[in-house]
Amino acid sequence: MKKSFAIAEVVVKELFRRKDFYVLFIITVVLSVLMAGVNVFNEPSVARYVKELCLLLIWVSSLVIAITTAARQLPVEKEQRTLFPLLAKPVRRSQVLIGKFLGCWLACGGTLVCFYVFFGILSMSREGTWPVLNYFQALLLHWVMLGIVTAFTILGSVMFSAVSANITITFALVAGILFLGRHLNKIALQLGEPLQAVVYGIYYLIPHLELFDVRDLIIHNWPLIPWGVWLGALVYGAFFTALFVWLGCVRFKKMLVH
Amino acid sequence: MKTALITVLLLVCCFGAGTMVEPRLGALELYRRHEGSPIKVLLGESRRLFAGQSFAKADAYFHSGMYPSIFDNTGGKKASAMTDAARGEKGGDHVERFLGEPRDIIDRFSRSFFPSEHKHLGEEKHEEHFPGDGHDHQEHEHGHEHGEEHEHGEEHEHGEEHYEEAGGKDVREILPWLQLTAELDPNRIENYVVGSFWLRNKLGKVAEAEQFLRSGLKNNPNSYEMLFELGRIHDENKKDVTRARNLFEAALARWRDQNSKKEEPDNFALQQIAMHLANLEIKEGNIQKGIALLEIVKKVSPAPAAVQQRIDELRAGKETGSAVNGSAEPVRSAH
Amino acid sequence: METVTVERQSGAARRSGGGVAEARSLPICIEHLRVVYKAANRKAAEKIAVNDLSLSVEEGEVFGFLGPNGAGKTTTMNVLLGFVQPTSGKAEIYGKSVRDEASRAELGYLPELTYYYKFLTGRELLRFYAKLFELPRAEAEKRIAQALKLVEMEQAADKPIRSYSKGMQQRVGLAQALINDPKLLILDEPTSGLDPLGRMKVRQIIQRLKDEGKTVFFSSHELGEVETVCDRVGILFNGQLKESGSVSSLLEAYQCNLERIFLKVIGFDEDGNPLSGKEVA
Repeated sequence: MKKSFAIAEVVVKELFRRKDFYVLFIITVVLSVLMAGVNVFNEPSVARYVKELCLLLIWVSSLVIAITTAARQLPVEKEQRTLFPLLAKPVRRSQVLIGKFLGCWLACGGTLVCFYVFFGILSMSREGTWPVLNYFQALLLHWVMLGIVTAFTILGSVMFSAVSANITITFALVAGILFLGRHLNKIALQLGEPLQAVVYGIYYLIPHLELFDVRDLIIHNWPLIPWGVWLGALVYGAFFTALFVWLGCVRFKKMLVH
Repeated sequence: MKTALITVLLLVCCFGAGTMVEPRLGALELYRRHEGSPIKVLLGESRRLFAGQSFAKADAYFHSGMYPSIFDNTGGKKASAMTDAARGEKGGDHVERFLGEPRDIIDRFSRSFFPSEHKHLGEEKHEEHFPGDGHDHQEHEHGHEHGEEHEHGEEHEHGEEHYEEAGGKDVREILPWLQLTAELDPNRIENYVVGSFWLRNKLGKVAEAEQFLRSGLKNNPNSYEMLFELGRIHDENKKDVTRARNLFEAALARWRDQNSKKEEPDNFALQQIAMHLANLEIKEGNIQKGIALLEIVKKVSPAPAAVQQRIDELRAGKETGSAVNGSAEPVRSAH
Repeated sequence: METVTVERQSGAARRSGGGVAEARSLPICIEHLRVVYKAANRKAAEKIAVNDLSLSVEEGEVFGFLGPNGAGKTTTMNVLLGFVQPTSGKAEIYGKSVRDEASRAELGYLPELTYYYKFLTGRELLRFYAKLFELPRAEAEKRIAQALKLVEMEQAADKPIRSYSKGMQQRVGLAQALINDPKLLILDEPTSGLDPLGRMKVRQIIQRLKDEGKTVFFSSHELGEVETVCDRVGILFNGQLKESGSVSSLLEAYQCNLERIFLKVIGFDEDGNPLSGKEVA
């Protein structure tokens, strides 16, 4: 694992030196502060729409960071030929892939902490409260979701040759699951066989990323998610992450790098 | 040096040309059409497509995020508690039970991760219990005992959920979406009515409510709903009887213009306008005028007998100025 | 002379005197290596990159791996480094199969095109590779300092690699190849793209490594340098080892310089004209 963490460290350095994160963070801050400054019927303490916009920007930014960073790792290493001196070291290909995943995921975690701290300050300035435990639950669920997305993207990077194709497909799938994942069972009920079986099959097989999207609970100040249920979601997410990472390792081992 | 001089010269030319051209363009109709808010400039008329979404968002906020998607079966109900309260109607809330029982294990598990309990902003939920059901039979938080009639003559059945006013100002959270809806579709009358109701009744922002309605009237000068709401502001909040009367009468006239030839006229609005005008006239001592208006109300009221009783009392000289139960004030407890 | 003749005839025999037990501890031992690339288009023919190659490299020697472009040199190196799986045959480094990542623990590799992470500094790059060798931190810092001194990159070590020239990148590449103090170095055209001064410095470093007892296996088109630095050479052509032996014995056998020997082996005269069948060695 030490070797994987060494590789992860390089990925984290790359993300924070490329300045993608800073651009997205500044955009989030500027837009959120602008929206917070809008006069709504001379009511100064309207908070929820600001929280919603801020969280939407955080989610979009975090997905952009996760997917673009993960999609670039192995293809760009191969293209820029930095992969060869790396693989010439006593390191297994699976360690390289796991290191890339860990680096992307840990980098996403760091960016999420920055985003959520800003969100907390913004919402406290409006509502006067800081439900730390609720934010903690939301942040960890968000992070685990990004773990699934990162692992899936890295799997895509060893299957698709073009980075752009991988990014497009991943974005489309993630958006599709977030918007439709919860409703596939209702859609299935309205279809006839065999389509119903197919849609139901997809419903049970896909990672339900929408489980990790608890923005509405945060925006509307709902109580905490029961801790056992919350832990169950984390375990569910960890399972899918491990599955995608394992598939990526299997594929990468057989991949021609030259 | 040469490059800098050329750059400065070009900038001066551009600025000069701009100052010469702008006043001339401003006079053109084509140019004026593009003035306005950023949303109007960016989206043009297509912005109206988003107004429905924005209004639904306000409703979603009213229900603290619990809201049906296009895939959910709402049983054909379209009424929302947010709108009904503003109109003084009591209908089924389409958000109430759209979720249903969980269909599978994933559905059941997912219910913890999104708003799945029916509630309204600024209100607390109470549940009536049967005697001997194990629950303490204490007074509810707002002073209601079992079987006691509520303020407007409504009685809740045992076991039924109902919402009591908690006096919360959380309902302000719907305002940004109502403001956006007005920006996106200035001709959406319902938006102004709902917005002014919540501004006035729950948040005490009478001036803002009036301003909102007046901005709506600029785009919808013949809207009887907005004239009526303005009348209510002047009657209930500003206590300006003369202006309130004028507005109620203007609303009534507009209603007649728009609904007299319709197959399904908006009788609920007529009832509201006529009732408020009647109450105002009766309060001012114009009993005959009040009775004439109550006659109009009787024709469209769901409780004509109660209205007739009121008319009889007025004619007998017993009643002087109190409103008829259950038909003029907005419903406070939404189901 | 006899030994050279044996090697010239078979082109695939191991250096005389090498038994199985000794082969296991050889820095490089390749036996009947065959690498075939399948064509992307089914109608096109397969490409045989390496065809029944057998060679070995002794401890402490500098071996020059020569051949024209497309001869199979890079493919052979890729097999040794684990980038490419052989179709058949065997390749071992210090007795360990090249498929085992542990075989690369004693290995230092300098690629032909030296691209490294542009966002890292030279020192950070070396630290990263030191971690992959699981060197203790103190030891790693010591080795980094030594390597930077050897390649004369101390001043630029803390600047980002994106600011390095070609020569500086080559030098930091050499430094990363030496970070684990390897017993075996595989250098793919180490002087490619360098100016004469740079080439001289690389030659000096290779000589110094040789003096330290390290084994160096490198490919190059600079036959003058090869003649100066190498103990033994092997000439690859069309995936087959056509000639191998010590530099001195080859020079004596052919009575000409290494460049002419090279041309003759691959079937050209000194003017670049193709030789007839009888004239080819």
